[in-house]
Amino acid sequence: MFANVGDELIIEGHRVGEPRRVGKVEEVRGDEGGPPYLVKWDDTGRSTLLFPGADCRIEHAAGTTTRKDS
Amino acid sequence: MKISDFALREPVVIGSDATVAETAVLMRTSGVGSVIIVDGQAPVGIVTDRDLVTRGLAEHYPTDGRIDGLMSTGLIAIDAHRDLEDLVHVFRDHAVRRVPIVDHDRVVGIVSLDDVMVFATEELSSVARVLAGQIMFPHASDEPKTPVPTT
Repeated sequence: MFANVGDELIIEGHRVGEPRRVGKVEEVRGDEGGPPYLVKWDDTGRSTLLFPGADCRIEHAAGTTTRKDS
Repeated sequence: MKISDFALREPVVIGSDATVAETAVLMRTSGVGSVIIVDGQAPVGIVTDRDLVTRGLAEHYPTDGRIDGLMSTGLIAIDAHRDLEDLVHVFRDHAVRRVPIVDHDRVVGIVSLDDVMVFATEELSSVARVLAGQIMFPHASDEPKTPVPTT
């Protein structure tokens, strides 16, 4: 997984009726855009450190790179 | 109070390529109900004894299968230098009962909601003892001091 500061991080709900969680990447702690990420969640307004799983995807912000080698 | 000052439990970790049986044995020998799954030193998931039952036994998952097939991913962690209040917010905002404590991307401890509850209860009872003392002896600090004899 690769992310830049400012990218949107999305975790879809795991059960029917459970809303998706959306946050913004505030810090990239791993090497070369890798996890963990400090994410500010839209629903709580607070930041947590996330080691993302397979249910997580990144929406790259406009103007940021989408791959570490691009 | 910093989380690093809190009595952290030693993290019990196992590699993501370990088997379900190996993880169960580690839980037994370490006396824990959850194990953090790591890739190198970085945590990638967590498995609880309940996961072994509901996702393993109930789904006929082989005991020699890799443990990362059963683990919960999307691990919420917290830095060791953050405040205890931040940890409470993590428990409040996310549906988790255990939070790995990390220093950079290395796991240095794990804290459960039960640990926080025990700590909060002990703090509360300390306050209650002070309050009880003040109620029982309200003027203890106002008592006149022994007069100095004059000659």
